[in-house]
Amino acid sequence: MQRLKAFPKAKLTAVLEMMIQKATVWVPSMIAGVSRFAPYRPGTDIQMGTNTAISPKEALFPSTEKIYKFSAYGIDGDFEPVDPSVGPQILFGLRSCDMQGILCLDDVFLTRGYVDDFYGSKREATTLITLGCVTPGADCFCASMGVNPAEHDASDAQMYDLGDAYGIIARSVKGEALVKDLMAAGLLSDTDKSQGPTADFVLKVDSEGITEKLQQMFDHPLWDELSRKCLNCGTCAYLCPTCHCFDIAEKKRNQHCGVKIKCWDTCMFSEYALMAGGHNPRPSKKERVRQRFMHKLRYFPERYGKLQCTGCGRCIAKCPVNLEITDVIKLAGEAKSDG
Amino acid sequence: MNQITKEMRDLARELLASGEVKGLIGWTKGSRWYLTPPLFITRPEEAEQLYFDQFAVNNLTGLLLDYRYGDDKIALFVKGCDSRGIVRLLQDHQIKREKVLVIGVPCMGMSDKKAVTDPRQPVELPLLDKCLECRYPNPVIADRLIGGALVSGEPSEPKGLTASEAAKRGVGSKQADRFAQVKAIEAMSADEKYAFWQAQHEKCLRCYACRNICPACNCRECIFESDKKGWVNKSATPTDNAFFAVTRAMHVAGRCVECGECERVCPMDIPIMALNRKVIQDINELFGESDAGTDLDGKMPLGLFKNDDPEEFM
Amino acid sequence: MVEQKINPVATLSDVKRINPLIPMKAKVTRIIDETADVKTFCIAKEEAGRFTAPFRTAPGQLAMLSLPGVGEAMFSATDAPEHLQLSIKKVGVLTDALHEICPGQTVGVRGPYGNGFPMDEYKGKNILFIGGGIGLAPVRSVVRYCVDHRDDFGQLHLIYGSRSPADLVFKYDLFDTWPAVRDFKVSVTVDRGDDQWKGNVGFVPAFIEQLRPDPENTVCILCGPPIMIKFTLGILDKLGFTPENVITTLEMRMKCGIGKCGRCNIGSCFVCLDGPVFSLAQLKTMPNEY
Repeated sequence: MQRLKAFPKAKLTAVLEMMIQKATVWVPSMIAGVSRFAPYRPGTDIQMGTNTAISPKEALFPSTEKIYKFSAYGIDGDFEPVDPSVGPQILFGLRSCDMQGILCLDDVFLTRGYVDDFYGSKREATTLITLGCVTPGADCFCASMGVNPAEHDASDAQMYDLGDAYGIIARSVKGEALVKDLMAAGLLSDTDKSQGPTADFVLKVDSEGITEKLQQMFDHPLWDELSRKCLNCGTCAYLCPTCHCFDIAEKKRNQHCGVKIKCWDTCMFSEYALMAGGHNPRPSKKERVRQRFMHKLRYFPERYGKLQCTGCGRCIAKCPVNLEITDVIKLAGEAKSDG
Repeated sequence: MNQITKEMRDLARELLASGEVKGLIGWTKGSRWYLTPPLFITRPEEAEQLYFDQFAVNNLTGLLLDYRYGDDKIALFVKGCDSRGIVRLLQDHQIKREKVLVIGVPCMGMSDKKAVTDPRQPVELPLLDKCLECRYPNPVIADRLIGGALVSGEPSEPKGLTASEAAKRGVGSKQADRFAQVKAIEAMSADEKYAFWQAQHEKCLRCYACRNICPACNCRECIFESDKKGWVNKSATPTDNAFFAVTRAMHVAGRCVECGECERVCPMDIPIMALNRKVIQDINELFGESDAGTDLDGKMPLGLFKNDDPEEFM
Repeated sequence: MVEQKINPVATLSDVKRINPLIPMKAKVTRIIDETADVKTFCIAKEEAGRFTAPFRTAPGQLAMLSLPGVGEAMFSATDAPEHLQLSIKKVGVLTDALHEICPGQTVGVRGPYGNGFPMDEYKGKNILFIGGGIGLAPVRSVVRYCVDHRDDFGQLHLIYGSRSPADLVFKYDLFDTWPAVRDFKVSVTVDRGDDQWKGNVGFVPAFIEQLRPDPENTVCILCGPPIMIKFTLGILDKLGFTPENVITTLEMRMKCGIGKCGRCNIGSCFVCLDGPVFSLAQLKTMPNEY
């Protein structure tokens, strides 16, 4: 059996400095008081200890991106493509929950007949390096959603928290190239250490059978009760690593030209499903709250075979009214089905 | 169970059982010791779920907007800061006075859950800045009072059952610092100010939590809801975000009740109150000192014309 | 000790690199005024001086139409070799602007989207078309198909209604083209008549009850305003039409058309991919949220 390779935590910047020679390296960092993944530069305030407040989906699915340019002069007009390709990039220090989130985004953007190239080209250019999580945060519950915090086998390379060092193994061709580079630079050495057990979770919920349960609960009064305190803001969706809904909107430079943008949108907003002419299939908070949780826990599993909640806990941490998905799962589980 | 919680439950039970109100908005104990989120109840037996402590920070008045077109009378609990939101909604003709039953509670000052280090271990936490700066710890309007609360339309000391606790915790002890952040930003050079706000606006996700919790943001259709007119853009770029932030601040100018909820709920920690306070400071300087949402019959500075109003722009 | 696994992430290099969200440039070649608030737009792409349809659509499929600088929306399409035909009612910002344009206008189109009607399954059957108002637009794409493949189907019967005689769309088809087709009965009604109107006056559901179409070996294709659908379904049930044989098309707000943007879902179905054509039997298994 091969021995685990590792580099001391003190050498983290040296490792990142080496990696940025070949790629943009997104690292968990503190930017203007908020932790998020951002391209590493010398001097970046790196935050490896806890997961970021904002999910890393921004690296693959930015909140706003141009998809094409248009012009309109009288009866003439034109559409000019925007190149979706990006240079090589590395997502460094992803937690298992966020890796699982990327698998959910993959299902949406890369399968079912069409590939969204704006996501696809970034995804293809990205090497994913996961980091084993030994100290879950106050709002984390990934283990309850079937995610293993210690490691995730879908990444290109897995890092392990060994206390004073990070262990690393390659899991794909991309990951092997990266580990080889680190070896060549003399940054890795053999270790006998292994990652300790993940600490106990504060939040736990039994999500077993939730999809089947919700199939019987579309007309349940629970949705009305749950939605009463909801503000219908987009905090939960915009922090979520799996929420993928977007709008295609126009941004005009002047009356003749502009760009079409793809930007985040959420089913929480009242105009989200509103049709020209005024009909709204989800006219009130109740329908919108139901849509969000049904999508995560029932519709997505029905369509793609996996839960769309990875237990990262960001929506729980930041919801202005503490409408917590763990409570929803618990209450739905306890409720008498209406069907 | 604390005395205020007990009185809350008793009154709620009575109001719902007698049919005086159809629904009641209060707080309940959340999933962790440092969470006391909103709760809406309609049945007397649900009154047992009500709870009040130093984490019942949510201003509940914005939730009344969901019932503005209904005929049902709704009761809700208000702390001092929250109560100004009721005046806001009444002055803006968003709710009818006879359709809301306001229950005043005394406030011991709200704790800052961001200071939690161990989610399993309850400890004494520092007050939120907005509580240190609080000038209206007592309800400015109420139909019923519990916990010994007293109505006061003027800046005052905390009253009621929690008065000494509030004083000990420092409620209102930093009133003088209310405009400190505004002054600090004003002292910056133009370039520094630009860099400061640019960094803040870069963070904005346009989730609209600030707008949706605000009792002054009560437009039936928000301009930011629709990009069809071409006035605003859905893209979350620093420029568009700044346009949103400034438009929001100017739209609540003279109407912001300083509950600080916009800033508390911002998932990106944008100092939204700095912008609101800057506008308040300017209005105070131009039109004389006033506090929005403290006097139901008073005229709002920007809703009233006086012959001696400043008019440099004319 | 951790065991090393090699798990290469699937590469995407074999996927064709086209941006599915960019419209194809096309021109409006002809605009037909149907009613005061409905126009039919013929849209073609120009290639070597010849105009052809930008893409072909199956009956019931959708096309995304964009007017640069105004916006983009999904419409039900009628197929023709020389152009794509979209009948559009004035209901909002984009459709208002579309009603102002002239032939020659450059527009963007993308598609075709959606499942369309499973026409092969209807072979040898009688077809009952029921339409209300602008709801005749998606129905018309099927009618045209049936007329073009007349021998594949049994009796054809169209029951159509609108608010007033002036609101009847496709009058040239209703009163000229279709009645001339073999075994094609066309029954038209209006909610309120006028001095010239000699046809039936009354709502569509009542008219169906009066006409009593035979459910035997018949597929019913139904499209119209929700209130008409609601009452019509009751009547069809009474007449003996089974949910499997009542087919309709749904309308939801759409942005991408390719099942990514999320907003046209009904339960785990995306109307842009899995619809817009659903049988009543299918709808009964889906959440009632459309």
